[in-house]
Amino acid sequence: MILSLAWKNIWRSKRRSFVVMSAVAIGVWSIIFMVSFYNSMIGAISRNSLQHDYSHIQIHHEGYLSEPGLGFQVKKPSMLMKFPSQIPDIEAVSSRLIVNGMVASPKTNLGIQVYAIDPADERAVTALSGFLTAGDYFTNIKRNPILLSQKLAEKLKVKVRSKVVITVQDLEANIRAGAFRVSGIFHSKSPRINNGVIYVRHEDLSKLINLPDTAFNEFAYLLKDNESLIETKQMMEAKTNNLVRTYREIAPEFDMIEEGSAISKQVITVIVMLALLFGIINTMLMAVLERTKEIGMLRAIGMFKSKIFFMIVLETFMISWVAAPMGLMAGFLTNLYFEKMGGLDLSQYAGALEQYGGDAIFYPEIAQSTYLLLMLVVMMTALIGAIYPAIKAVNLKPLEAIRKL
Amino acid sequence: MKVIELKNLSKIYNPETIPVRAINDVTLSVEEGEFTAIVGPSGCGKTTLLNMIGGLDISSEGSVDIGGVSINEMSESELTTFRLQHIGFVFQAYNLIPVLTAKENIEFIMVLQNRDAKTMQERSDDLLDRMGIKDQRDRRPSELSGGQQQRVAVARALASRPKFVLADEPTANLDSGSTEALLDIMAKLNKEEKITFIFSTHDQRVIDRAKRIIKLVDGEIVSDEQP
Repeated sequence: MILSLAWKNIWRSKRRSFVVMSAVAIGVWSIIFMVSFYNSMIGAISRNSLQHDYSHIQIHHEGYLSEPGLGFQVKKPSMLMKFPSQIPDIEAVSSRLIVNGMVASPKTNLGIQVYAIDPADERAVTALSGFLTAGDYFTNIKRNPILLSQKLAEKLKVKVRSKVVITVQDLEANIRAGAFRVSGIFHSKSPRINNGVIYVRHEDLSKLINLPDTAFNEFAYLLKDNESLIETKQMMEAKTNNLVRTYREIAPEFDMIEEGSAISKQVITVIVMLALLFGIINTMLMAVLERTKEIGMLRAIGMFKSKIFFMIVLETFMISWVAAPMGLMAGFLTNLYFEKMGGLDLSQYAGALEQYGGDAIFYPEIAQSTYLLLMLVVMMTALIGAIYPAIKAVNLKPLEAIRKL
Repeated sequence: MKVIELKNLSKIYNPETIPVRAINDVTLSVEEGEFTAIVGPSGCGKTTLLNMIGGLDISSEGSVDIGGVSINEMSESELTTFRLQHIGFVFQAYNLIPVLTAKENIEFIMVLQNRDAKTMQERSDDLLDRMGIKDQRDRRPSELSGGQQQRVAVARALASRPKFVLADEPTANLDSGSTEALLDIMAKLNKEEKITFIFSTHDQRVIDRAKRIIKLVDGEIVSDEQP
């Protein structure tokens, strides 16, 4: 009957209960939406950097980090090319020769990184060919084709088939320059690539700087999934004496972004829960004060303090039990809606989002466990919120309480 | 058999500053089956005396024995249990739980006593019947008249099978008809089932029906008569 009494007590002031329930439901919904939004944004940034820039694992010569350039080329490149057939979790590999240089157009020149690649291999690892906005993928120009980003093309004021000159240093530090033509213009999802990378064919660059076809200073591997990252890295390390690094080691900002996102989500959750907490305390305190005389009567006729405490806690719990699932359902339905509608279009902020490597379309992403976790957090908040009003209720002196008007 | 025994009972408010003796050296005993009215002018200490008998207030001096057990030294928790098991309360303002029906209000005290469902059902049905409000069993207090609410309150007080019922001005908010009806029921219960009732009242209709009248003036018993 105490259960039934607690439930009936909630509905004494329907409007007040409805307001606090709405606050809980809206709070829960907003957290679901916010977490989904964050996950989507951070997921897109990570995915884009991973798939279109760093790949899962990269191999360099051990000295490459201290002196990036042509001086430290990977050892036994032919063996590194065979890893996809030897290690089952590797999807694809791209061998690269990366060198810093200048690109000059008739209008201006820019400092860039030249990525000398095998077009077929690079397509498999970074899906570069899919980002072309003009021209094609190294096929329309027979001699010295290059791919560059829309951003660089705009800066250089060039278009497809325009001629540019790339200047690099060879192994002996001699300046070498070669004429190239723009084969394609792309728009990558990686800001780093957009801002300063030009792709050329490996054979063209190696000819320009007099290096053999087997000269590479970077191998990038795409894995079938992220789960086997560490295991695959260890297998690679066992097979080569080059430096093997995962994308998290190459770009520690991945961890920073994820940690920052996790902290942001926690902070916002705490703020929302604090707001709910004070709302719950206020509501329950009013409920207790309104029933002072009745609680005094209950104490007088022999209801134990513990049962009164339990009753108040139960009432608070019930409010949350009703409201939290409503908020969770609203959050779930909102996410479902955006999924069905092809995501939330944030194109008006595309510029800002692309600066961070994010997507302009927001696809809600949330783990199922988040719903359960949030339910527990709300229950915990309700429990904390119930304590003060419940203490206030049990501390009422029966005689004084009955005398209250 | 003595149900209540008060010895040299006093209640002093503000003992440190300006002491006020609300009850002054009261000694009395109540036998089982009595129908007693404590009367006197407002402020004479009727309610204070009733509260001390019911263990709701603590005496400054003297002792309160209920059924041979002294309640003076009981802890708060022991007093709660004692009230639950041995004392029935009827309040002037009924003090029913507004969200429960008449039947649920009566059964609530038995829930606190951990009685089984069948016992509760039988007891509440019996009390509703005897109070003449069986038809009102599923109504909430707001749907009942003052007299009906007070009958539910008396049924609630009796539901726990207490040693005695303390009723503080039980007819103060009732009209003549309801008062008479309530007094008839309580007198019948007293006569047929030897239930002990102690009232604090200045309602002449209650005084006229009482078998013993204890008159208080300024916290002291000035007369104790059995008309």
